[in-house]
Amino acid sequence: MTALLEVKDLSVGFRTRRGVVQALSQASVSVEQGELLLVVGESGSGKTVLAHSLLRLLPRNVDVSGSIRLGGEDVLALQPDALRRVRGRRMALIPQSPASSLNPVRRLGGQLLEAARARGLTEAQSRKRLRELLGELGLDLDSISGRYIHQLSGGMQQRVVNAMALVGEPDIVIADEPTSGLDSDLVDATAAQLREISARGASLLVITHDLRLAERLGGRLALLYASRIVEVGPAAAFFQSPSHPYGRELLRALPEREGKSIPGMSPELTALPGHCAFADRCPDRFEPCTESVPDLYPVRDGVHARCFAHAER
Amino acid sequence: MSAGGGALAGSLRLGAGIGQRAGSAVRGWPLAVRIAAGVLAVLVVGALAADVIAPLDDRAVDLDNILAAPSWSHLLGTDEVGRDLLARVLHGIQISLMIAVSAALTAALAGTLVGIVAGTMGGKVDAVVMRVTDVFASQNHFLFGILLVVLFRPVLGGAGAIMLSVGLTHWPSLARIVRGELMSLRERPFVAAAIGGGAGRLRLARRHYLPHLLPAVGLAFVLTVPHAIFHESALSFLGLGLEPHRASLGNILADGQRSLLAGGWWIALFPGLAILLASMTIGTLAESWRERLHPRWRSELEL
Repeated sequence: MTALLEVKDLSVGFRTRRGVVQALSQASVSVEQGELLLVVGESGSGKTVLAHSLLRLLPRNVDVSGSIRLGGEDVLALQPDALRRVRGRRMALIPQSPASSLNPVRRLGGQLLEAARARGLTEAQSRKRLRELLGELGLDLDSISGRYIHQLSGGMQQRVVNAMALVGEPDIVIADEPTSGLDSDLVDATAAQLREISARGASLLVITHDLRLAERLGGRLALLYASRIVEVGPAAAFFQSPSHPYGRELLRALPEREGKSIPGMSPELTALPGHCAFADRCPDRFEPCTESVPDLYPVRDGVHARCFAHAER
Repeated sequence: MSAGGGALAGSLRLGAGIGQRAGSAVRGWPLAVRIAAGVLAVLVVGALAADVIAPLDDRAVDLDNILAAPSWSHLLGTDEVGRDLLARVLHGIQISLMIAVSAALTAALAGTLVGIVAGTMGGKVDAVVMRVTDVFASQNHFLFGILLVVLFRPVLGGAGAIMLSVGLTHWPSLARIVRGELMSLRERPFVAAAIGGGAGRLRLARRHYLPHLLPAVGLAFVLTVPHAIFHESALSFLGLGLEPHRASLGNILADGQRSLLAGGWWIALFPGLAILLASMTIGTLAESWRERLHPRWRSELEL
């Protein structure tokens, strides 16, 4: 079975005055039909860049190499017209911070309808779909149409944005930090909504730094550190016993576990080392770690880790 | 019949509803704004109905009645050749407002176009266009305006030349406003979200950029009108604008200044008052609109 979304050796570098900021280095992930993939990492590890490269929302000063295939089609080679038809219809984005992702000077009704119409629905179909979708999320189309985004609560804003992403019945939904800035009640509600989306049969790619949300959602998990994927495998396996030292230290840093922060800083993206990027902070460092960049080595059932500790096996 | 009655009742309700809404809107206005709106309404209606209230014949000289003080037969008095001042002032307001509005419109259109080019193309185009804009903005409006009038009067006539001169000297601030808005809009998350949702250039422009730009452009346009009134009057006062016999506020003022020493105070007072009232009321209204739109927004335009 071929994957719905297949990202291979994706490298993204931003040309800036301070040099090239390498946001992603040879990242490879795949999402199967109906699968949930979590992309987890700290700020600056390249998560959002990954989401934005999938939809080709990157600025002009960027160098991209590698390939992104959606149902066999090369996304990076799409012409503008074809790209517009992929965006929203086949791949939908639930953007970071719903409040600023909707136009503040237009009423919600117009924006929701516009989103639905842009996915190729007629006026009547749009209204029907929106009414159903919002209804399932506990909102009433007629009562919010006349309002502006700032007049809704944080939870309602999130649901409106979710409905907008789902209205075109996309094959895959990309949620970029769906819980940033939400309190724990809303995190629960968001997790429930995301599981709902997944239950509808759409593939889901969730980008987050919120490990608790990740644990609650389950699925498969890819851990990013300093522009590289350092561990990939079932989320349950990761939370039980992570295979990469960074994953291990990260989980230990959670307040409900040991609350022990990792010493040191992640490396500057303008000057990534020619060896394992975590070597300087790694408690289990040995010779090869400071000599070259490790590959993703298989660890056990479906888990791969970018660590020389697993190379010997 | 019942359908007709229903429709009638419906439209009556609708009419009453609109009336009520307008009524409650006015009640919410501060006193200064209400006064400004009232005075401006009187000026505009007076100017529009000038031919009904006081028909004007530019060449109707009445030498028995020169420099007559305001009286019941000549409410605002007469000028140095005996022409009725009320008629001339009303027609002057009409012409001055017309020139000012079309000049402000020219400035708004030119500024918006330049701003859109700079703001959407960015990079080198933006740099070149905005430096050219700076060159225009750094000129003294008035001296540059005089040059333009001298250049264009033979082709366009007095009114057209003034309109073009005011329009072509007032667009830089608008271009800057539009460019700045576009630059900041481009970086807003909802624009990225719209693109991610499949929006093309046209939809972005129509649905997302325009609703943000229109209020700013509209406001800048209104704020340019009083400027344009000043410029028109000043150019006409210097004899560079309309032909001397035509009634424009600047022309009447120029005539009045010659009669001041002969005791004819009213000839200078009334057109001057008209200029002052028109600019002040438009300014007050625009200011309150600005407050409503964006309490902290500071325009580059000042009065």
